[in-house]
Amino acid sequence: MEYVNPEGLRLDGRRPMEMRQLRAEIGVVSKADGSAVFEMGNTKVIAAVYGPREVQNRSQQSNDQALVRCEYSMANFSTGDRMRKPKGDRRSTEISLVIRQTMEACILTHLMPRSQIDIFVQVLQADGGTRSACINAATLALADAGIPMCDLVTSCSAGYLNGTPLLDLNYVEDSAGGPDVTVGILPKLDKVTLLQMDSKLQVDTFENVMQLAIEGCKAVASYIREILLENTKQLESRRGVK
Amino acid sequence: MEGDEEKFVTPGEVLGKATELKAGKGAYVSADDRTVYASLTGFRSLTPPPEGSDDPRPTVEVKGHKAHGPVPEPGLVVIARVTKVMAKMASADIMCVGPKSVREKFTGIIRQQDVRATEIDKVDMHASFRPGDIVRALVLSLGDARAYYLSTAKNELGVVSAESQAGATMIPISWTEMQCPLTGQVEQRKVAKAGA
Repeated sequence: MEYVNPEGLRLDGRRPMEMRQLRAEIGVVSKADGSAVFEMGNTKVIAAVYGPREVQNRSQQSNDQALVRCEYSMANFSTGDRMRKPKGDRRSTEISLVIRQTMEACILTHLMPRSQIDIFVQVLQADGGTRSACINAATLALADAGIPMCDLVTSCSAGYLNGTPLLDLNYVEDSAGGPDVTVGILPKLDKVTLLQMDSKLQVDTFENVMQLAIEGCKAVASYIREILLENTKQLESRRGVK
Repeated sequence: MEGDEEKFVTPGEVLGKATELKAGKGAYVSADDRTVYASLTGFRSLTPPPEGSDDPRPTVEVKGHKAHGPVPEPGLVVIARVTKVMAKMASADIMCVGPKSVREKFTGIIRQQDVRATEIDKVDMHASFRPGDIVRALVLSLGDARAYYLSTAKNELGVVSAESQAGATMIPISWTEMQCPLTGQVEQRKVAKAGA
């Protein structure tokens, strides 16, 4: 199957180095301390953050840092065929763990000892790249909740099909069976916090694909920063500051 | 738009060098102690160093937009409602820290020796507090895992408002007694000095 046609266009008309359209909104769940909706093309994800609040399970309480919990689930209607078991299956547990480790690396947990931060992410529409969209949504929700972080975490995926590195795979390209590299970075500190890959790649090709994914992450970071600025300006104007 | 002279920052942005700035709230110093980064989203502000300190560096802070509920700190005056009265201590739910009300309730304990300043071993807890009383107390310390330690051992601390057995709000008549306006019955409490 041809994923990149001779003119250099992909199945959805994008160029190989082009990301899907990004859209984000903050403060969508009023009960949560912080929340966000993040869309990458057709993939739509909602994240809600509760915390810092008192630890519910005393045995897990830590005296010198906050406990970070994360739960990833997919809505039944998020994929083409209605899903039977959206939570608790192996893939969801693995992604929950991955998101928790990624966010824990950037939250300044030592500032909030004996407390708990809950991150809930749910996929509303799945079209490839749900892991990345979840991390981006979680970053926005944490920033909205005012939880101190050392940097924003942004994530993007890239693949390699028909001899071309492709940025931001959608579901069809992802199911082609080629390699899928997901990268999560701290854009200002220039550090990698998440690096996952399916399938196999030659090392030099891998470096190109990873570099492409990192460029994608930086583009997401500048978009997230714009959204946060807009949101803060709106809040300031509503409060009548200056 | 408003406030643009103060720079808008997001987490991870460089605020300055650690040699020139001190990290305040919403900022942190990197592991190698060289750069100050932001940890919150908001507007940065510089405060000059306090008078008479030997550190000449100004403090940089990032003010976020989410107001978190206040948290009791040692040395602050809090308003609490007494929930349980036992032989050697009373339990209270802290409802306000200073002038602000808390978002989630905190538990505090007033021990027998912290009720008043004089004759502390002769204190009768039931003659000082009753469940349902509103007290003004001082936070002594973070206490143990279960509760903050509170003290009412000052003239202006103690029961501020209490209901009599008849159900009316009582009037304070001395630092140990309050009177019910409906029945005239006098009840014993550790009363806070009114006014101020």
